[in-house]
Amino acid sequence: MSLLDFARGPAFHVAILIFVFGVVWRLVGVFLLRRNRDLSPARAGHLLEGGMRAILMRSLPPHELEKHIVFQHASGYGWHIAYFAAFLLFGPHMPFIRQFLGFTWPTLPNTWCLALAAIALALLIVLLLRRIVNPVLKRITSVDDYISSVVTMLPLITGIAANAHVQLFGVRYEELLALHVLSVCALLIWFPFGKLMHLFLAFPARFQAGVLLQRKGVEA
Amino acid sequence: MSPELERRALGAISVAVEFESGNVPLLLNELCHALERLLADGTSHALDLRAIPLAPGEEDRLLLALGQGELVAQLEADGLSEIRECAYPGIWCITHRNPAGSVVGRFIEVTFVPALLASQRADVALGLVRMTRTLRGESRAQEGAGAAVPPEKAHH
Amino acid sequence: MDRMNQSVAEALAARGVSRRGFMKFCATTASLMALPPTLIPTIAAALEKAKRPSVIWLPFQECTGCTESLTRSNAPSIESLIFESISLDYQETLQAAAGFAAEEARNAAMEANWGQYLLAIDGSIPLGNPGYSTIGGVSNLDMLKHAAEGAKAIVAIGTCAAFGGLPNAHPNPTGAVAVSDIVKNKPIINISGCPPLPVAITGVLMQFLVFGQLPELDALGRPKVFFGQTIHDRCYRRPFYERGQFAESFDDEGAKHGWCLFKLGCKGPTTYNACATVKWNMATSFPIEAGHGCIGCSQPHFWDAGGFYEPLSTTRWGGWKQLGIAAAAGAAVGAAAALATRAGTGAAKKEEKTS
Repeated sequence: MSLLDFARGPAFHVAILIFVFGVVWRLVGVFLLRRNRDLSPARAGHLLEGGMRAILMRSLPPHELEKHIVFQHASGYGWHIAYFAAFLLFGPHMPFIRQFLGFTWPTLPNTWCLALAAIALALLIVLLLRRIVNPVLKRITSVDDYISSVVTMLPLITGIAANAHVQLFGVRYEELLALHVLSVCALLIWFPFGKLMHLFLAFPARFQAGVLLQRKGVEA
Repeated sequence: MSPELERRALGAISVAVEFESGNVPLLLNELCHALERLLADGTSHALDLRAIPLAPGEEDRLLLALGQGELVAQLEADGLSEIRECAYPGIWCITHRNPAGSVVGRFIEVTFVPALLASQRADVALGLVRMTRTLRGESRAQEGAGAAVPPEKAHH
Repeated sequence: MDRMNQSVAEALAARGVSRRGFMKFCATTASLMALPPTLIPTIAAALEKAKRPSVIWLPFQECTGCTESLTRSNAPSIESLIFESISLDYQETLQAAAGFAAEEARNAAMEANWGQYLLAIDGSIPLGNPGYSTIGGVSNLDMLKHAAEGAKAIVAIGTCAAFGGLPNAHPNPTGAVAVSDIVKNKPIINISGCPPLPVAITGVLMQFLVFGQLPELDALGRPKVFFGQTIHDRCYRRPFYERGQFAESFDDEGAKHGWCLFKLGCKGPTTYNACATVKWNMATSFPIEAGHGCIGCSQPHFWDAGGFYEPLSTTRWGGWKQLGIAAAAGAAVGAAAALATRAGTGAAKKEEKTS
């Protein structure tokens, strides 16, 4: 069995099962946790609207800090958007998506996706370096952060290398493609067990915080 | 369906996809630069059209763009070959066919005279031998009735 | 002059071909070996001295497609190949002799050229039971081992001989293996393809004839000159791939416009062969040009690579049922974890260790 056959076959099969198992485990584990009952009466109604507003407001930079965190904020949005666009709007990825969803959508020319992927990778690298160099960020960075950064970057690096037919160290195209699939497997396996779970938890968490604050009558 | 209707239907089906991959202008540019070099220092250049991935119809479009010049030479050697000067002097299109008539090679040469046009030294030497023998045979035939046969000269 | 000891140039001259004709032969040979026209004088010089090598062709567990491909060669034509370039001393499909006479001719040729002949093999070798494939009562395995001893080099023609091919595909009922799985002490050139391009077969034979040595080989033992590039890298539909224009199904608008066949399962990106440049049937066309994706027939185990119509970007994932089972298992573990935590915090609250 070639490396590519292994990557597209048993490796991905195991990775996606671990991904689903792990994500559901963590979501169920979090949502079934006890929350302390607030024994005081609610100060205001419209709790659901409060939750939704929190999702919106917390997607924007806090007013007091907005001038100081422009780079952090813009680059965060920048690489997320570029990353997902490069993944979801790349023609050759469509059969992969179709096998799960049964349908696809229009895509961008390959060079556009290559540019988006390059932008995402550049921003990720800059942010990682900033994390290492900045003393405050370095102090609050954990192993989880480093691993999550790396498994996020690897599909971009291997995808760009495969698309560009990089010939370093005599590596051939089919091996680069195999590495790309294996890097996605690594991402899928790590996903449920680190901070990447924010994909599923960020919005529910904001919603919950918004509901609690609304209950307390906070205008936020 | 009558045979006539069938023929019309078949003829209406387009078998060639209209497609342009941009190779023709690139190759024409390469040949243009080769012509410059030929004039500058006499360097020849050759393109093997079999080695270039051309889309369907592109080879024909390239040859059409190169056009037809003044000179066409046919070479009958193990199949027919054609050496044709293109509309741009100095650019030659050489097509080799095998005895069955299939194209076995197609080259574009940029040169003053393609090597295949010139007589080959070995062929000239062999031809001289043949011609000498023929002349000897004819002169012997002329002197044949009665006159002494001149001694054979050993030729190799 | 003894035909066996003639050089190629002499053989051509004996047939009445002029020096010009010889130059034409050298030019088409250069093209066939994908060498630049600047090397034509080198080829001419070599062919003036090169003696026609003896070639013994043994067919094993094969479909004869490789021989069929060879006979479609037009540069050189099969006749030209046999009469001028090589001495094809044994080839069951093409030879007139049969039975004991053929066997004797083969053995005589092998003895006369022992250590110098090129051994061409097509078809895989069954190891499951030697009786699965025999010639004149001799198993392929025994015949290969004996013939390989006296060969200068072995040319494994076709994916079956090179990698096991169709017989080797799951579940491999005959225990079929490639030539290189059995012969370990002789140089082996793999000319893979199902069948290989005619020019790949003749090109290697001509390379051996002209340069007296084997061409540069890739990691799978295939001549780089024909197997050094992928179909994808030389495909004329590549611009459509780059522009993101794909045919979504056979005969749709995209297919009619000649768009990329990636989504229809084309294995061009991972297949090394020269079909996109050299093409088939005297450069008429090749599968992609005819509207069907490449099936990767020159790659090992292409029959078991996941399906001809499965695009390269698809994976094995087990289906929604399996994901559902994984989700159910995850939910069970998550619920157990949450309940354990709740019990723990409940107990801590009772003991007033937390609020």
